[in-house]
Amino acid sequence: MPGEEASEEKDKSIQHTAALSFGFICLIIGIPLWWKTTEVYRVNLPYSDIADLSNTKFQFTIDIDVVNLEKSWTDKDLTDLSKLLKANLADDRKVGAIFPKYRVAVRQAAEKQSSDVTSLKTLAALDDYFHGEESSVNKYLIVLMPVNNAVVKQTTIGNYRAVYLPAGKRDLKTVSAEVTEILHSVLVREDALLKSFQNFLGAREPKDKASMRSLSYHQGYDILFTLVNPQPDILDIDWSIKVAVEAYLSPMVKQLSDYINLDIKSQMLFFTGLRRKPHKDKKNSGFYYEETDLPHTINPLEANLGSHASNNPMLNFIVYVPSRDQHPLHIVLKNGEKVKTNSFLSPQWGGIVVQNLPSPPPNSSLPVRVTVDMKTVMEVFLTQLRLLMDFNIQVKKDLQVREVGNDVIREWELDNWLRKKCLENLATSISTLQSLTALLEGISNIVIQDDIGQQVENAVTGIKEAHRHLSSGQIARAFTQSRKALASSEKAFFDPSLLELLYFPEDQKFAIYIPLFLPIGLPILGSLFKAIKWIKTKRKQKAKTE
Amino acid sequence: MAAPMVHFYFQLIAFAFLHQCAGTSPEEFFKSGHTNNWAVLVDTSRFWFNYRHVANVLSIYRSCKRLGIPDSRIILMVADDMACNPRNPRPATVFNNANNQINVYGDDVEVDYRGYEVTVENFIRVLTGRLPPSTPRSKRLLSDEHSNVLVYMTGHGGDGFLKFQDAEEISNVELADAFEQMWQKRRYHEVFFMIDTCQAESMFQKFYSPNILAVASSKVGEDSLSHHVDPSIGVYVIDRYTYYALEFLETVTPGSKKTMGQFLEVCPKYQCISTVAKRTDLFRRDVNKVLLTDFFGSVRNVELLPDSIHLQNATLHTHSEDSSYVKSDKPLNYAQQFPMPV
Repeated sequence: MPGEEASEEKDKSIQHTAALSFGFICLIIGIPLWWKTTEVYRVNLPYSDIADLSNTKFQFTIDIDVVNLEKSWTDKDLTDLSKLLKANLADDRKVGAIFPKYRVAVRQAAEKQSSDVTSLKTLAALDDYFHGEESSVNKYLIVLMPVNNAVVKQTTIGNYRAVYLPAGKRDLKTVSAEVTEILHSVLVREDALLKSFQNFLGAREPKDKASMRSLSYHQGYDILFTLVNPQPDILDIDWSIKVAVEAYLSPMVKQLSDYINLDIKSQMLFFTGLRRKPHKDKKNSGFYYEETDLPHTINPLEANLGSHASNNPMLNFIVYVPSRDQHPLHIVLKNGEKVKTNSFLSPQWGGIVVQNLPSPPPNSSLPVRVTVDMKTVMEVFLTQLRLLMDFNIQVKKDLQVREVGNDVIREWELDNWLRKKCLENLATSISTLQSLTALLEGISNIVIQDDIGQQVENAVTGIKEAHRHLSSGQIARAFTQSRKALASSEKAFFDPSLLELLYFPEDQKFAIYIPLFLPIGLPILGSLFKAIKWIKTKRKQKAKTE
Repeated sequence: MAAPMVHFYFQLIAFAFLHQCAGTSPEEFFKSGHTNNWAVLVDTSRFWFNYRHVANVLSIYRSCKRLGIPDSRIILMVADDMACNPRNPRPATVFNNANNQINVYGDDVEVDYRGYEVTVENFIRVLTGRLPPSTPRSKRLLSDEHSNVLVYMTGHGGDGFLKFQDAEEISNVELADAFEQMWQKRRYHEVFFMIDTCQAESMFQKFYSPNILAVASSKVGEDSLSHHVDPSIGVYVIDRYTYYALEFLETVTPGSKKTMGQFLEVCPKYQCISTVAKRTDLFRRDVNKVLLTDFFGSVRNVELLPDSIHLQNATLHTHSEDSSYVKSDKPLNYAQQFPMPV
C-alpha cells in the first residue's frame, strides 16, 4: 500500500540520515580530535641548525707580533719579512673542518727596548721584561734578537708568550721558515688540533700516545695524594702534604680555576704495599722492578685506595715507601739503568713514585720518625700531572725551551690547552647533538620535554658563540662557551626521560586501539556505505522520474 | 755432520723458548687501545631454584676481581636472594660446586643492584648512562672511549628475549639499540658480550655496532644445560658453559698471555651438549691476537718518567695547630636519652 511504502521510505531515510551524520561526526570531527589528543608532545628542536653545525668550518684566529731588535735590518727588510710570513702562513694547506687564521704584525723595536734588552743578563729577566709589555692570551711575540746578544744563542721559547730568535746573520727566508715551523709544531699545532677535532666528531682513528695518556675534559678532576706505608710500626713517616700542595700546586690550581675545577685530597694507607715481588739486585744490595713488572703493581693497590663520591675522573698520585725487606727499591730501564725519578705513570689514572727512606739505625726506639722530601716528590707529581692533563708539549730537540720552574704550566701551553679543549668540546657537543637528533628521529614516540628543548637550544647557542669568539681570537671566552655547550648537550642527551622503553612501541599501539575502535567502527562504516548507496539510488530514481 | 744440525735445531728451539718467555714489550701495551676495564655482570633470575644463575654470575665476578678489575669498576646486578634464603642450609654462602670448595659469595662481595632493582629499565639505564642525577657513583657505568667492557648475562632466555625476574623481558632489538647508544656516545672501546641462557645466540644476532665480540652458550633452538646438582641443597649449582669457562679462567693469571681465541673455543659440544655460538664479525681485531686479560683483567699501560721539572724551594708556611682539632679538657657527658636500668 502506498501509505506503508511512504512511511517505510521515511524510516529508511531517517536511518540513513542518522548513519550519515554519525559517519560525518566520526570522520570529520572524531578522527582529527583523537589524532591531536594522542599526539606525542615534542618541543621544536633546531634540527636544521644542528645539521648546519656539522658542516661548519671553525676558524680560530691567532695574533703574531714580530719585534725586531737586530739593528742591521731596515724597515724594508721587515716589510719583506711580513710578506713572506703571511705567504707562508696563508692557507696553502687544505682547509679542514678547523683552520687557523693568522694576524701578523711586524715592527721595529723602540730604542728603549733595545737598550733595555742589552742590559738584561738572564733568560728569566728577558722573559719577565717581555711578559709585562704586551702579553695577552692568544697573542704571541716573536722577538728577533740582535746578533751579539749574550743570552740567546739558539732559538728559545720562553715561559710566557715570547719566542726569542737570534736573527743576526740569517736571511729573511730562513727566519720566516723558522717562525712558521715554530707556530705549526709548538705554539699552534694545527695538525694535532685537526686530528683531535675529527676524532671527537666520531672519526675513531687509532690513537697516539699523547691522546691516550691524557684525560678528556670534564668540568673537574679529583686529585688524590696517597702515602703508602707498609710498616708504620717501623717508620713513622711525616709528609707535610698540605703545606706542599699549598706551596707547589696551588698556583697552578688558581691559574686553572676559571677553566677547570681541581679538587685535591690526601690520605695515608698503612699495612699495604705493591704486592708484586721485586727482583733482587745481585751487584748492589737492593731490589728493582723492571718495566714489565709495573702494570701488575697497580691493581692490588687500587682496590685499597677507596672510591669517592663525585662523578669526576680521579687522578691518583702515590708515594710508596718500600718495606724494609724490599729496601732500597728502584725502577730500572731495559738496559739496567736506574730511572732517575724512580717513578712511573699509568695513562688516565695517575702515577707512583718510590721513595727510599733510610732505615732506622739498630737499637733505636721504633717507630722512627722520618720525613719525605716533598720537593722531589712534588716535582715528579707535577711532571706527571702535566702529562696526564695534556699540558705537556713535545718540542723538537733543536728548539730550546726555558725551564718552567714553579709556574708549572707555561702560558703558551695553557693557550694550547684552551684551544684544544675548546675544539674538542665543540666536536663532542656537535656529535652529541647529532646522535640526539638521530635518536629522536629514529624513535618517533619519545616525548621531548621543554627542558630538553631548552638544553638543546643552549647547546646550539653556545657552539655558535664559541665559534664567534674563536674567530676573533678570544680563546678564553670561547673555551667558557664551549664548556657550557658541552654541559648542555650532555644534559640533554643523558636526560633520564629519553628512554625508549618508557614509551609504547608502534606495533603495541595497534593492540590498544583495535579493541576500542573496531567494534564501533565496523557498524558505522557499514551503515555509512549503505546510506551512500541509498542516496545514489534515490538520485537515480529522481533522475528517472524527472 | 749430525752435530751441527743438532746444534742448529737446539738453537732454534732455545730461541723460540726465550722468545715466548720474554713476553710482549711495553711498547705494545699502548697498541691495545684501552686504558681501563669495566664489567657489567647481570643475573636476571630470582627464586631458590635458580641458584645456579647466582652461582654463575658470582663466579665470573670472582674471576674478574682476581684478575684485577676493582669493585669500583664492576656493576653487579643480582637478585641476591640466595645467601640469606631460609632454604639455604649454609647461610651467607653461595657455592658453585657440590664439593663446596669456594664460597663465591664471600665477605667482600659488592652488589650494586639487588632484589627488585634488577629490571630491564635499570639495566638499559646503566648501559646508556641515562640515570637520574641522584644515582650514586657505584651504580653508574662511567666508562669512556678507552674502556673495554665485559657484559655477562645469565638467566632464562628464549628466542629473541631474556626474562628478567619472571616479570618482564628484554628483547634482542632493545639490547642492540642500547649498545648502539653506547657506541654513539663513545662509552666503550670494545665490548665482550657473554651470555649463558637457553637459545642465547638470539640475543646477539641483532647487534650492529662495531667492536663487539660475543659468545653464547647455545644456538637458537637449543637449551643450555646445567652441570651438576648439589644433593645437600637439592638444586643445580652451576651451568655447563660457565663451569667450563671458569675451568679455563682458573688457569689464567694477571700476566697470562692466553688469547680470546682460546677462550671462544671453550666447552665443545661433547662437554656442553649445546653448541657454543660466537660472533666475531663486528670485532676489528683478530681474536687470536687479543689477550684474555684485555676483557677479564685490568692490565695497565705504564710509562716511565725519565725526567722531571725542577722546582725552586718554595717557602713552606707551616700552619699553626689546625683549629678543628681542638682538644677539650672537659669530659663529655651525654643527655639522658634512653631509659637505663637503674
